[in-house]
Amino acid sequence: MANLSVNICGVEFKNPVISASGTYGFGREFNELYDIGLIGGISTKGLTLEPRLGNPVPRIAESRGVILNAVGLQNPGVEHFIKNDLEWLKSTGTRIIANVAGKTLDDYKNICARLDGLVDMIELNISCPNVKSGGMAFGIKPQSVEEVTAVAKSGLKKTPLIIKLSPNVESIAVNAKSAENGGADCISLINTLTGMTIDIERRRPIIANNTGGVSGAGVKPIAVRMVYEASQAVKIPVIGMGGITCAEDAIEFLMAGATAVQVGTANFTNPYAMPQIIDGLNAWCDSHGVKNVSELTGTLQLNGK
Amino acid sequence: MKDYLVTVVKNEKIAENIHAITFLLKEECKVRCGQFGNIAVGGTHLLRRPIAICKVDGREVTFCYQVKGDGTKRLQAMETGDTCNLLMPLGNGFFVEDTEQKVALVGGGVGVFPLISVLRKYGQSKEISAYIGYRNQNAVCGVEEFAKAHKFVGVTDDGSYGEKMNAVQAFEKDLKAGNRPDVVLACGPTPMLRALKVLVEKENLTCFVSLEERMGCGIGACVVCVCDLTNGKKARVCKDGPVFNAKEVVL
Repeated sequence: MANLSVNICGVEFKNPVISASGTYGFGREFNELYDIGLIGGISTKGLTLEPRLGNPVPRIAESRGVILNAVGLQNPGVEHFIKNDLEWLKSTGTRIIANVAGKTLDDYKNICARLDGLVDMIELNISCPNVKSGGMAFGIKPQSVEEVTAVAKSGLKKTPLIIKLSPNVESIAVNAKSAENGGADCISLINTLTGMTIDIERRRPIIANNTGGVSGAGVKPIAVRMVYEASQAVKIPVIGMGGITCAEDAIEFLMAGATAVQVGTANFTNPYAMPQIIDGLNAWCDSHGVKNVSELTGTLQLNGK
Repeated sequence: MKDYLVTVVKNEKIAENIHAITFLLKEECKVRCGQFGNIAVGGTHLLRRPIAICKVDGREVTFCYQVKGDGTKRLQAMETGDTCNLLMPLGNGFFVEDTEQKVALVGGGVGVFPLISVLRKYGQSKEISAYIGYRNQNAVCGVEEFAKAHKFVGVTDDGSYGEKMNAVQAFEKDLKAGNRPDVVLACGPTPMLRALKVLVEKENLTCFVSLEERMGCGIGACVVCVCDLTNGKKARVCKDGPVFNAKEVVL
């Protein structure tokens, strides 16, 4: 039995496997399949100050090896989460990362202030490709990444802040550094890549929103490269995600520089993906003489160096 | 709800473009009529295929599906002895109250298969009339099951089998003839359900409809497959449905 625990910004996770926002709700449904206390943490469905109804359907489509989604941040609002889900989530024993989004800078500050001290970490979604106002707009330009990070951070006294970075940018390294400069305690990446898929009989995009965020196994090499570049650019911890399906995928991210990983789309393909990845990590560490999974972080050596 | 590793017992064509696949489970699984399963078709498909459960016989579960895209083509290509993962049972399903004796089933297209599960559950205890619409005679299927109902009216869009009308028209015709049910259970294409909703509201009948939508997780976590409710809220088709009271959903 390897020690799978990791420490991110002073928060102890029993293992480095966290559910990715938007694929796992608030954990209740997956808890019908297995005890979600087994997983390292949960990044909640993206929360906003007010409830949101999200985009029209269809909200999802497939392409080989990937999926596209455009849910558009449908959520019951932060107050509903605090009242109905928070205590229950705490009782499961998993770590709680509240994923939050806003339309304005004030929204980001206010929602962070509301959740400060109530959850283990806050993950700022500044990279949702599926809503017209806010979200993505803050995540593209390095200056605005730094600004929204600083504003959100000003609403926080206790809870560490994760900035979730968009891959749809000029330089992931520059944006990672901007988040760090703005006061981020941690970064997570990648959010989804903007894509489109077309129903050729109707000559229309399948998703009602026309474009959607691409995720799943097919995006993994892009994500690994970006996690490597981002982790080289910053000193703060990195949470890696993008197409992780099995323990070996997770290990790639750790070696590329991530302290922990998030698993999203794989939960749809295989509802037991997360506990299986945790078991697989343990087995891999044991068979490779790794006593602490945290030893793997950033151990990648580039060819020719 | 459980993810079962299942083995294909048989996979055969039952009508034009419609196939029935039967899986063997390792154990018996308690299923309500109108529930569905999420079938992993493998290959490069990351999403499973949510399909209504048509029949359960001990450890054997049968799904009927229309071959439409790459995913259902993969399903069609599965052979006896092949294995795959199947998450089931999902969704709420149909439920008939003790006070409801006369039940009308209104179905069209692939929507007829969850109604077969209703007939198998309530066929003995309730007086069931089935009004089933098909595109044409080549699409006719499930007749051996529907024939067990108290009354079966099969119709087609082109009149090549039964009368030339749709399932809602067949139901309305019988309704006007005095055959008024205590509850209507329906599944089929949205235009059909929409027409039915207008009719049942005019006639003040209780009606439950089973909806279909593109799904992500199939268990209620990802809020991909939502429908609009008349109270302005959204509901998850996979978890809050797929069966809804017709008066509570916007079609």
